[in-house]
Amino acid sequence: MMFDLFRRMARAPAFDGAGLGTRLLARPVVSGCTLPPGTAGVAVDRAGRTRRTGAGGRIALLEGESGWCFHPGPYGCDLVPFAAAPEIGLRLHFAIDSPDPRVSQQRFDLFLASEAEGDLALDAFAARIEDALQRELAQGNLDLPPCTTLDEWNAFRAGFNQLLYTRFGVTVDDCVPVDLRPGRDFAEALRARAVHDAHEPCLGKEEAPAPATLAAKPATPSPATGAKAFDPAAEDARALRRLFLELPCLMCRVRQAALPSGQDQFRQQQSLLQRLDLVSLAAATMPALGLAAPGQPLGADQQLRRARHSVAAVGALDEAWALLARFELAGDRGLDVLFDDADRIVANLEHATGERKRVLAREEA
Amino acid sequence: MSAAVFRSLLADGGIVTVTATRRPGAPALAARMQEVARLARHTEARHDSREQVVISMDRAPGPQERDWELAVVLADRAVRGLLPHAPAPAPQLALGWSHDWQRGRIDGHDAATPPPGALLGGPRHLRHLGALTGQPDVSAAVSSARAWFPLHSGGINDSLCWVEVSVYPLDPGAAPDDEAIAAPGLDSARQHAVRQALAGARHFDGETASRWRTTVRFGQDGLHGNSYELALVLADRLARGREFRPRGRIIASGCSNAWHAGQVDAVEGLAPKCALIAREAAAGDRVLLPRAWEAGLPPGLRDALRAKGASLACVERIGII
Repeated sequence: MMFDLFRRMARAPAFDGAGLGTRLLARPVVSGCTLPPGTAGVAVDRAGRTRRTGAGGRIALLEGESGWCFHPGPYGCDLVPFAAAPEIGLRLHFAIDSPDPRVSQQRFDLFLASEAEGDLALDAFAARIEDALQRELAQGNLDLPPCTTLDEWNAFRAGFNQLLYTRFGVTVDDCVPVDLRPGRDFAEALRARAVHDAHEPCLGKEEAPAPATLAAKPATPSPATGAKAFDPAAEDARALRRLFLELPCLMCRVRQAALPSGQDQFRQQQSLLQRLDLVSLAAATMPALGLAAPGQPLGADQQLRRARHSVAAVGALDEAWALLARFELAGDRGLDVLFDDADRIVANLEHATGERKRVLAREEA
Repeated sequence: MSAAVFRSLLADGGIVTVTATRRPGAPALAARMQEVARLARHTEARHDSREQVVISMDRAPGPQERDWELAVVLADRAVRGLLPHAPAPAPQLALGWSHDWQRGRIDGHDAATPPPGALLGGPRHLRHLGALTGQPDVSAAVSSARAWFPLHSGGINDSLCWVEVSVYPLDPGAAPDDEAIAAPGLDSARQHAVRQALAGARHFDGETASRWRTTVRFGQDGLHGNSYELALVLADRLARGREFRPRGRIIASGCSNAWHAGQVDAVEGLAPKCALIAREAAAGDRVLLPRAWEAGLPPGLRDALRAKGASLACVERIGII
């Protein structure tokens, strides 16, 4: 008995680091296990504070902390900057930087604490980068026009590098335009759409669908609508966690980066920070998704409405990180436009968190 | 529908006007109007909760009528400055309805004999909202894109004309034939020129086997010259998903002796075309001109375009940098 206990304490739990550095960026670890060489550890406590650990190969976690092991890379992936142009892409090589001693918390550690669930795979991470890139291009904050000139390309690269550093905490080693053609065939995609359109019942016509398709429908949800079911409870919890953890860090960096250049801008900055503070407070004190009042459950449709507003708030949060990247790059040029955009994003955050708080939709209240 | 207007005074001394309009019982219509505008907003990249838009109609359409939907969507966008390219003679007549506004699609219009000049929605007209700036629909099986080129016809009649390229995948293994690139309504010499330009530019792309059935349409008849070629080639690349997307329209002028090498050569009419482009370009547009024109560009054109939110590049080759 005694012998058993000692043996269990002495032996470190095995950690499977397979795939780290190639198809995985990070994987959860338990305390006391040995990290593979070349990797680093991050400990996250219950309040979302992070610290680097694992120097000397073993990771030691305190009570209530969860641990991550990540490999700094380098990694490579292909991105599609425009959904409508799938054959032309960017080949990106990036790495997770060695820790910057000037900041109290590494951005990548915050990313792990706030967004990672289970293994962080390279393709899932690349999809997030692609999302951020596509949104910035669609909004016109980054520009990648047809027949890009060298100057325009350099401006794009500067903005993109800063976006990835500010939003994800990774540094870009290299990024070049590539022809994705052999791997991604647009003709195939169009053919698949034609097949899908032919099978989808046309809503415009009041035709009774054939019994065969009616029976087959529940088994195969159409890819346009049922590909990924929206789970209100999970999405809402994920969104609120992100708001709770990231808003304070975001405010701290906005204070440093968005330096006002005059009395008016100073006032603007103060009011933005104040409003962000209130949004942060609202996110931290958000009522439970499923309760209309203590002990009084809320209907499923209202829960769905609330969850959608949480997700909208996270969308605004993503935009806020992207805007912070633009602030950090801008220095003191064009601040008016950036402050106006900040005003819009904070208004969206206020709107979404306010709607999330509501028990009933506005029209019904 | 009748309206009552009253005035009142605000603390700053200014007059505030209060307008009340009566809408004879059509709650379903109001709900549908709101739904249409909200669904269509899903296709916009930038959400701004600070803005409130009030849309109203001066007459109530019948309960079965739906052609007003497109007008509501366009009004909702135009009032927020999202349609800088909207045709000049406002108010534009727009007819169209959709079951799929959240994807920006327009399914059709009901009017049997629409007046000339009306903006019509539907399969053979405006198929989706992005088409207003020439962008392909990301959910349609036929990919079609537009690019614009300046049409110089003696000063007063100068205008921007569009060229539209629609591509549909050929069955794998289908024999490529001459008809795979069709340009209905053009004479045979110009059809041949269009085919030559597209075949050359696709060869430059490394397209070995022919993959597409292609249809080319022009906004106006009676073209002359070959300065439309660059716009044609770019619309084709956009439709085939091989070109970065501008936020607005592509406006291009240029031809080539060697499309198979991706080369862009100069065309005639620098001064009038630049003047036209400076007048017509709007926010988000991408202007592409031959490199040979760079030295002769009117001073201030670049800055004027940038001030409008458009961008200009002089290129000697198409494709990635």
